[in-house]
Amino acid sequence: MPDTLTRERRCELLAAAGHEEIVTLAERLLADGVPRPTVVQAPEVGMVVLQVREPVEETRFYLGEVLVTECSVELDGVPGWCMRSGDDRIAALAGALLDAVAAAGLPALTDIDALCAAVAERQAAEEAAEWADIQATTVAFEELT
Amino acid sequence: MGYSGVRGGQEAIAAAERLVQESRFGGRSAWLELDQITERLGLGVDRVMGEAGLWAPELAARAVRQAHGDLLEAAQLLRAHRSTLPRFGYSLPVGPAELRAVRRVSPAHRNPPGGQVLGRTTDYTPRILDLTPEERARPRRAPGPPGAPAAAPARRPRGDRPDADAGLRAAGLLPDRRTGDDPEPYDITRAPARPGTPRSARLSALARAETGSLTHLWYSCSRAPRPGGHEIPLELRRGRLPLRVAHPHTGRPVTVAGVRVTEARTVRPTARPRPDGTRFDAGYGLCYGENEPKALAMAGLDLLVHRDPHTDRLEQKVLIALDGPEASGFLEHLKLPHYVDFRSTVERVRAVRVGAGAGR
Repeated sequence: MPDTLTRERRCELLAAAGHEEIVTLAERLLADGVPRPTVVQAPEVGMVVLQVREPVEETRFYLGEVLVTECSVELDGVPGWCMRSGDDRIAALAGALLDAVAAAGLPALTDIDALCAAVAERQAAEEAAEWADIQATTVAFEELT
Repeated sequence: MGYSGVRGGQEAIAAAERLVQESRFGGRSAWLELDQITERLGLGVDRVMGEAGLWAPELAARAVRQAHGDLLEAAQLLRAHRSTLPRFGYSLPVGPAELRAVRRVSPAHRNPPGGQVLGRTTDYTPRILDLTPEERARPRRAPGPPGAPAAAPARRPRGDRPDADAGLRAAGLLPDRRTGDDPEPYDITRAPARPGTPRSARLSALARAETGSLTHLWYSCSRAPRPGGHEIPLELRRGRLPLRVAHPHTGRPVTVAGVRVTEARTVRPTARPRPDGTRFDAGYGLCYGENEPKALAMAGLDLLVHRDPHTDRLEQKVLIALDGPEASGFLEHLKLPHYVDFRSTVERVRAVRVGAGAGR
């Protein structure tokens, strides 16, 4: 993982983090003195339409909707935002806070990026394990003539 | 047709509902946890999400549990819940190249570019009811591969997604239907899909069609003699697609979630305007979750409607008759009181009978 995460990559990893790890970190930062954020948009559960570009005509269609939770906060004028899958308002609020702390460049950025690094490492390990499993099913059929 | 308003029976209705609650919450077995449903009955959960048109595994598991395992009823519950949720917006478009495949087979090509990966499947082994005694089955875990596990690269190779159509297209065997236009997709949740609506409406309707109805319609079409030869799928894949939105403060893409999907591409020799067999028609199927019959049937019907939407009113059937909650809702309403309607019908039949000289 690069030393410096882009804001988007950090958002992706915070969205992929587990409820416990992201909420625990947010609570700890608040206990350590990070200013309480202003909630701009309270955590809300809703849907995002998944658009797919199909390959035959290369036009778009709507595959369906995906349940997500979204939240926006502000920390000393710096906006923070989180959207993650499923119905989890507390985790979305925590994610928005961590995004704002990171965007504001507060010292706690180190802790946030450490969490992101752990999530990225876990994702890579899961992907490698998955690939190892399915690679064993690679087949080259022979035709009987 | 209609049902009449009735009054009364409140106590009986409440008692009937209590029986349902006792059935849901009573019994001697342990409470069915949501993760048991999503893990052990995942294909049912996938099917419910697909037919409801909403990717939400935990909610779908709740619906399956509440519906006592009736997947059609569960899809109806989830679809109804969906209508209470706000829509935040639209994802950035994702294409087939972004599908992270865990299974990819090609019935058309023995050695397709990129190889064939069977993934988790029982396609090549007997499907026999497992009668292992419960005390032995319960602690059993999936067997590992025989011998030492093969060394695997730590990372999946990039670029493992060759275009399944590319070979046929390059050889001039597949008409290029790309026009460069990029119309806004038709939203079947906001306006009804009817014959004449764009193909995007058809693909959306097929993606959330009831699996059994879709399979049956595809089967009845495929069994009927049709010119041009039968279809052969170019490729069938399962995998994950990202849900990517624009970051509200930077405008750049962010992947906020992922969904599992099944995708199929199929071809048949052309038969329009009459059988010539000089090229192929193509069809595309993509649906939520692990549901290979649905993706295959969707691709086959997409192809057939493109080729000839009017024979047997196929386009109309695809757009109108395949929605599970709509069909089951209409059927279920028959159980409600139709007393006035029926009395009126009886009087009409009697009048006709008198008019025909048969009544006394």
